[in-house]
Amino acid sequence: MSAPMSLENRKWYSGMSSQEDWWSVWLGFTFFFLGLLSITGVDLVGWIAYPSQWVDLKGMLNSVKPMGKGYESLGMFGSIVVSYLIFTIPTTIGAYFMGWNVKKYVLGWTIIFFITYVCWILGHHAFLAADVTKRQKFGLDFSLSLGGGAAYILALIVGLLIGNFAKPLAQFLCEAAKPEWYIKTAIVFLGVKVGYMAMEASGFIFELALAGAAATIVAYLIFWPGIYLISRKIFNLPRKTAAVLASAISICGVSAAVATGGAVRAKPIVPVMVSALVVVYAVIELVVLPPVFTATMIDEPVVAGAAMGMAVKTDGADAAAGAVMDELMRNRKLAMDGTVWKEGYITTSAVMTKIWIDMFIGLWAFVLALVWVYKIDRVPGEIVPKSEIWHRFPKFVLGYFCTWFAYLGILFLLPHVTDLAKIGAKPVEKGMRTLFFMLTFVSIGVITDFKKLAESRFGRMIGVYFVALFIFVIPVAIAVAWIFHHGMQVPLVVK
Amino acid sequence: MLDLRLIHDGKRWIAENGDVRAEADTLANLDLELARAFRDKGEGGGGDELYVRMTFDNGVIPQWIRQYSNHYFNRIVRLDLSRRSEEVS
Repeated sequence: MSAPMSLENRKWYSGMSSQEDWWSVWLGFTFFFLGLLSITGVDLVGWIAYPSQWVDLKGMLNSVKPMGKGYESLGMFGSIVVSYLIFTIPTTIGAYFMGWNVKKYVLGWTIIFFITYVCWILGHHAFLAADVTKRQKFGLDFSLSLGGGAAYILALIVGLLIGNFAKPLAQFLCEAAKPEWYIKTAIVFLGVKVGYMAMEASGFIFELALAGAAATIVAYLIFWPGIYLISRKIFNLPRKTAAVLASAISICGVSAAVATGGAVRAKPIVPVMVSALVVVYAVIELVVLPPVFTATMIDEPVVAGAAMGMAVKTDGADAAAGAVMDELMRNRKLAMDGTVWKEGYITTSAVMTKIWIDMFIGLWAFVLALVWVYKIDRVPGEIVPKSEIWHRFPKFVLGYFCTWFAYLGILFLLPHVTDLAKIGAKPVEKGMRTLFFMLTFVSIGVITDFKKLAESRFGRMIGVYFVALFIFVIPVAIAVAWIFHHGMQVPLVVK
Repeated sequence: MLDLRLIHDGKRWIAENGDVRAEADTLANLDLELARAFRDKGEGGGGDELYVRMTFDNGVIPQWIRQYSNHYFNRIVRLDLSRRSEEVS
C-alpha cells in the first residue's frame, strides 16, 4: 500500500498519519500519557524490560527486570516479551499508515528488537560496563568502565556488521531499520527527562537552552557561508550542489540537504547523493568523536556535548554520540577523581543544540528559496509559499517540548502528585528512551554501507565533506560551544 | 488555483493533474509549457493569468531518506498565458 504522496504536503495538517516525523510524536505521546496516568495511582508503563550489570551466566539470566515494582512477577523473559508485544502494536500501526510493507516491517522489527536486547544485555557485562566503584562487587580487578556506552557500541558494531557483511539480511531488515524514527521517538521521551532535570537544576537547563540557541545562530552564520565558499572556490562545485552540501555539512545533514535541494530547486538526485554521504560520515563521527572529546574535554563536558550537537549531522548519530560520550565522560571522571556526574546532562546538551539547529532549517530553507527564486534563477511568476516553513519544521520537536513542559508544569503546579508522576515518568524517560536509543544504534549500523564512499559518482563531494567537516566544522563547533557553554558543569549525584 | 503533481524523472521536470501534462528540462521552461498546455485547453477563463500550485510528489525521493525529511518543495506559479515558450528557451 502506498500513501497518496502527491497530496502529502499540501495542507498544514498533511502527513499527520503518513510521516515518520508525526508518528514519532504519536508514539512518544502514547507512552508519555500512559506514564502520566501514574498520578492516578496506576502504573501502566512499568513493564519495560531494563538490564543491569552482570558477570556470570546466573547473573546474566537475571540481569533484566521490569522497571515497575508492580510488574516484578514478569521476570526477565516475561518483561522482554511484554515489551516486544506492546511496542510492536503501535509501531506496526504506524508502519501501516506510513504505507510500508507491514509483513516485512513486523519481521524486520522483530529481528531488530531482539538483536537490540541481546546487545543491551551483553553490553552490561561487568568487564565492559562496571566503573571502578563496582569492580569489587563483581570480583574484577579491571573493567573497561564504559557504563551503558558498551551496549551502545556493541549495538552499533552488530548493526554495521549486518549492513556491510550481511547485505541480504540488511536489505531484509531495511523496512524496520529506521534510525531517525526511533531517535525522534526517543527525543520525545527525552522531553520527560528534561522536565525532571529542570526541577533538579532549572538554572542549568535554562542556560543550556539559551546558550544552545545562541550557539546555533552563530554556527549557522559561520558554517554555511564557509562551506559554500570551500565547495565553490576550492572544489569548483556547481552553485546548487555547493548550497546543498553546505547545508548538509553545516546544518543538519540529510534533512538539511533535502530542504536545501528543494529550496534551490535542485534535481532530486543532488540531495539524494549528498544524503548517502551524510549517513556514512555521521557514523564515522559517531565512532570517532565521543572518545576523542572524552580524552580532550573532560573538564568541559557541556562544551563537548554542545560541540557534538553542532558537529554530528543526523539526529540519530548526534543523540547516539551524545549518549556514548555521556557514559564515557561520567565513567572517566569517576575514575579520575571520584566525582559522580548525573546521567543524561551531557546527552541533553548534545541534543539541545541539535534541536535548535533542526528548528531553524525550515526558516533557513525559506530564505534560501527566496534568494534562489527571486535573485538567482529569477523564474517569472513563481511565488514561494510561506507554508514551506511549516512543512519543513521537524514535528518531533513539538513532542519534545510538550512532554518537557507537561512534566515541568506538573512538578511546579501540582507538587502534591510529583512522587506519583515520577513512578510513571521513570520507565519512559529511562527505560523506553534507552531502548529507542539502542534501536537507533542497531538501525544506523544496518543502513550504513561504507562501500558507498567508494562510488566514483560522489567524486569531489567526498573531499569537500572531509575537508569541511574535520578542518572547519568540528574546530569551529568546539570554539562556538566553548564561547557559549564554558564553565557549565554537570550537576553531581547527591549521596 | 489549479493543483498539479510535480516530479523529476532524472532528466526532466514533469507537472500533471490528469487533464494537463507538461515536461521540460528546467522549471522556467516547464512553466512555459504549462502555460501553452492550458492555453490550448482554453483554461484561464479568457484571462491572461492562471495560478497553479505544484506539489512535489515525495514518491520520487527514495523511501530511506523520507524518515529524515519528508518535504521537498511546493511551488505556486502565476502562469502568463499570453507568452510563448520560444521567448525564454
